Amino acid sequence: MNLSPRDEEMLEGRHGEPLRKAMEGLVTLGRAYNAEDMVDIGYAHIHAGMAMYKDDVELMEELADAGAKVVVPSSANIANADLVNWRQTGAPESLARLQNRAAGAHHKMGSAAAFTCTPYWAGHWPTWNMHMVSIESTVTIFCNSVLGARSNRDGFFAVYASMTGRYPRFGYHLDAQRQGTHLVRVECMPESVSDFSALGFHVGRSVGGGVAVFEGFARRPTMDEMDALGAALGTSGGISMFIVPGVTPPYANAEEAFPNGLPNDAIIANEAGIRTTYEHFTEGDGSFDLVHVGCPHASFEEMKDYAQLLDGKRVKDGIDLWVTTSRSVRNMAREAGYVAIMEKAGAKVISDTCPMSCHFACTASPDPKLGVKPPVLRGIVLDSAKQAKYVHDMVRCPVLLTSTEKAIESAVTGSFVPRFSAS
Amino acid sequence: MSPPRIIHGRGLFGDKVRGPALVAKEPVSFLGDVDITTGEIIGELPSVKGKRMGGMVLVFPGSMGSAGAWRFIYQQFIHNTHPLALIAKELPDPSVVQGAIMAGIPVICEPNEDVLNSIENGDILTIDGKAGTITVGNG
Repeated sequence: MNLSPRDEEMLEGRHGEPLRKAMEGLVTLGRAYNAEDMVDIGYAHIHAGMAMYKDDVELMEELADAGAKVVVPSSANIANADLVNWRQTGAPESLARLQNRAAGAHHKMGSAAAFTCTPYWAGHWPTWNMHMVSIESTVTIFCNSVLGARSNRDGFFAVYASMTGRYPRFGYHLDAQRQGTHLVRVECMPESVSDFSALGFHVGRSVGGGVAVFEGFARRPTMDEMDALGAALGTSGGISMFIVPGVTPPYANAEEAFPNGLPNDAIIANEAGIRTTYEHFTEGDGSFDLVHVGCPHASFEEMKDYAQLLDGKRVKDGIDLWVTTSRSVRNMAREAGYVAIMEKAGAKVISDTCPMSCHFACTASPDPKLGVKPPVLRGIVLDSAKQAKYVHDMVRCPVLLTSTEKAIESAVTGSFVPRFSAS
Repeated sequence: MSPPRIIHGRGLFGDKVRGPALVAKEPVSFLGDVDITTGEIIGELPSVKGKRMGGMVLVFPGSMGSAGAWRFIYQQFIHNTHPLALIAKELPDPSVVQGAIMAGIPVICEPNEDVLNSIENGDILTIDGKAGTITVGNG
């Protein structure tokens, strides 16, 4: 593997132990994937330091205390507690205190923290051809597929890349990987962000780790719709990128997305596929304690939609309604008056975390000293296939997937309102 | 006793280790399929469900699922329930590889025979993560 003189210096320890360890990890990774050399990255979406996992916040603190700094614009991924509003979620104070230590470590390293799975809505906006790293698959997919940046689905080494500014050239950093493998013919127009999520989950099952090329949307999908589609594709499959010709840079048409020729077979995306996902995530006896919207973390536009749906309404007694977003977007929505409307209706506007990422998870491994006890939930109504899958797996309570509008209607009436009425 | 047999693959990294094999016939999603605190396989992997991977050489087709895999592998290391080594037919996801590097778990991929059928649970394997060799039996 070809290394620059500065890469070699870092590897030799001439820039301190944190950079030596970081470069050693990146070189080992690069060799595993037969990378020819390293690229300069322009952005890093990095590990939060997660309070629900033993010694994990300490991973970030150790780097910060050793003097490590980020050398490219960096944002932190979603965390395990709302750093400010944690009381509203029922999280123990011990957990919130530990999670706040991660914010200290990020600031010490020069990271913008952010603590969100949608850093782009908070102003982190990599551009076409920019090499970057991301610890969050939703971010990897959005940046590859909507912005045209170049990212793999990374793990902790995103932190190492943020410190060195370097990353081995393999995977989606290479043109060869950024080509269609599966053609998807869209035969119905999804009607909402949640329909895009349901469609993405259904298609992702057939695409595995490939690159899906979508043809046939009746109009250009909105950014929120592209975000929902990508998050769901990455949940049921191992996808890192999808292509909507005319939207995803630089592909003007399907032919450009398939330089070796269009495949003979196509995956058909129709209403039946969308229904399959909603049906798959309709579990339990229909009872629920919590309704959740905002996965991935809501954009300002989505906050506006939620406020309109909740204006003048009241969440039913005994039901919690969580709206999850980043702290930046929460602040923008507060200034616009949307948070007041939602709170007046009885909703809780939570940032930095979400149901599957917070103290609800049974599959995490918090230090027993924190005294974290996941609550027993009868069920969660939600509008995102990604959240549904991971609530099912990690919170382990029944999930009820429906559209955003009907999720909020469920919260107001106290009865589950499905996306499709029974026929 | 049959003489030791050597299988060759691509050694990604790691030292020499020796331990019993645990053969999963299905792809593994480390986030979701494994309980961190016990190392028990809890996902729908019929061939290994209920078995514990701590101290075992995990032989498996490849990885799937969340990019959070690294965190679960590293957490298994923190809780001392991690596999001793990984032998994957196909190169695993970057997140899995990053978790293995952090936890010091040797990884070999693309072995030159069908290890899912030629290696059995409990076979004693000697792994050299640099050379890419898997020695079956008393090597």
